[in-house]
Amino acid sequence: MTRGNRIFLSCIYWAFVLYVFVPLILMVLMGFKDSKFIGFPIRSWTLDWYTGVLGNTEVLSAFGYSVAIAVLSTLISVAVGTWIAVLLEGRKFFGRTAVFGLTVLPALVPGIISAIAFRIYARWLGIEPGMGAIIWAHAVHNVPFVALVVMARLSTLPKSQIEAARDLGADPVITFMRITLPYLVPAILGASIFCLLLSFDDFVRSFFLGGYDPTLPVLIFAKLKSGMSPEINAIATVALVLTAAIGIWAERFTRRLNKD
Amino acid sequence: MGYPDMSDETAQGARSNQTKDDLSGQTFWGRLAGWTPYRLLIGLATASPRRQFLVLAALPIVWVLTQHLGPMLQMLRVSLTDAYPVAPGVEQHFTLDNYARFFGDRIFWQPFFRTLIFAGVFTFCTLILTYPVAYFLARHVSRKNQMLFLLLLLVPFWVGEIVRTYAIMILLGNTGAVNQLLKWIGLIDRPIPFMYTSFSMGVGIVYLTALYMLLPLYSALEKLPKSLNEAAADLGASAWTRFRRVTLPLTIEGISSGCTLVFLISTGFYATPVLLGGPSTTVFAETIAGFFHVAGDEWPTGSAFATIMFFAALVLTGTFQKLMNALRKGDSK
Repeated sequence: MTRGNRIFLSCIYWAFVLYVFVPLILMVLMGFKDSKFIGFPIRSWTLDWYTGVLGNTEVLSAFGYSVAIAVLSTLISVAVGTWIAVLLEGRKFFGRTAVFGLTVLPALVPGIISAIAFRIYARWLGIEPGMGAIIWAHAVHNVPFVALVVMARLSTLPKSQIEAARDLGADPVITFMRITLPYLVPAILGASIFCLLLSFDDFVRSFFLGGYDPTLPVLIFAKLKSGMSPEINAIATVALVLTAAIGIWAERFTRRLNKD
Repeated sequence: MGYPDMSDETAQGARSNQTKDDLSGQTFWGRLAGWTPYRLLIGLATASPRRQFLVLAALPIVWVLTQHLGPMLQMLRVSLTDAYPVAPGVEQHFTLDNYARFFGDRIFWQPFFRTLIFAGVFTFCTLILTYPVAYFLARHVSRKNQMLFLLLLLVPFWVGEIVRTYAIMILLGNTGAVNQLLKWIGLIDRPIPFMYTSFSMGVGIVYLTALYMLLPLYSALEKLPKSLNEAAADLGASAWTRFRRVTLPLTIEGISSGCTLVFLISTGFYATPVLLGGPSTTVFAETIAGFFHVAGDEWPTGSAFATIMFFAALVLTGTFQKLMNALRKGDSK
């Protein structure tokens, strides 16, 4: 490789880093602007928008609502996704390809279509729009990610450990709980964090399946439609800091678990 | 019996302590295994390999059929009816009218084709933009630093769709950062209207989907042994030829899955086109959503349109993958 080539490519990389960071940094900065009017330059600064958000019950309740939905839907996704992974990994049976295809289907359906399909199905099942419907839609949508991550980890589990446990008289359930599950913990944790973030960030499903209470992204969207304001920047920044922090923490945490 | 003796136990530490407890049936698991109702249940469930399989497979199969496939089938069914939800006293009929409506009006099929073209163009832009980045990461960054460099790019992608769309609005607005910067340099006098055009929408969608392209490309490039390139260089191939004849063909798999993913995702965006696009850039997602905001009797049409879009996206990405596969096989000969 030539040196010029390398320098050129590294410039592209850092330009790309700028491209992904600059819009977010500008957005955070704009939340400190001492004016109702969004736009540069920022001449005077204030913390009012941020302190305002922390005292805004509408924002705080949307925030709590989003977190609750994320946690509950993740629990369902993780349980079902792990179960599916255990069925699919290393087992040959009639229809396995079909089951696998159906497992990944929700991840491949474009957002708007998936939201519409869930909306219609929820109505058919008699689920009213609201928290239950959103939790259900998020749970179904996130199952494929759990299944794929857990399958990947499961494929590296030494078969001999299972056989040893069975030889020593453990039944399949106890073998699973004491050998397989502990081995899967890093994958399950990683997948859970991913599901939490997907659910917390999701807009389109929450929008079409929601009732009167907005989730945080739906609230931001509604506010944006009625005009930009530094208040929205402050709300978005709070969401941003939280998701980025969880993402980084999870990344480090799962890496450490994988190393052990 | 296989009880470890005391010296063994001190040598092996906590692990053998645990084993001893198990054997004497004192742990939770030991007690559970000895509990009669549990034993009966397990005995019933694992009486034969066949039954054991059925117990394991029942929930996943029922789940994927009713939760993953069910919504899509119900959408298809509703798209073929003349009224949904059915009002009391009205009989529901099956019809193809909802599909006919799509072809009948320009305001329906125009956004549809616009969406497909936009998604194709944006996917291509994402590919061009992220390929060098992935190449740099996989080839020029030491293995030790690769994860760090990758993580740096991952962080912004943990942030949600709406927040990132808003960030682009601030970047591209008339008093946004780009316009102010150009004005300050002296390139322009009055702001360039970036917003509410296909350009602002493109910037937003590429921004949202770049990672889904980057990761498959990176993993394809990372697997590629450096020796192949060196061999080609030894045989006298120029940098461009090496890229065109070695690197590119061997990363087609990554390109193909990245493009498929990004294409499918970008056809499905709703909020981003609403916020960043304008009247001349209405995408099909907005058309579909329109049928679900008004009275319920428009649901069948909305379902039909969503079905059309889903099949179009599937056929296009399927064909694309077939093409890429053929290309790869043709090249390896």
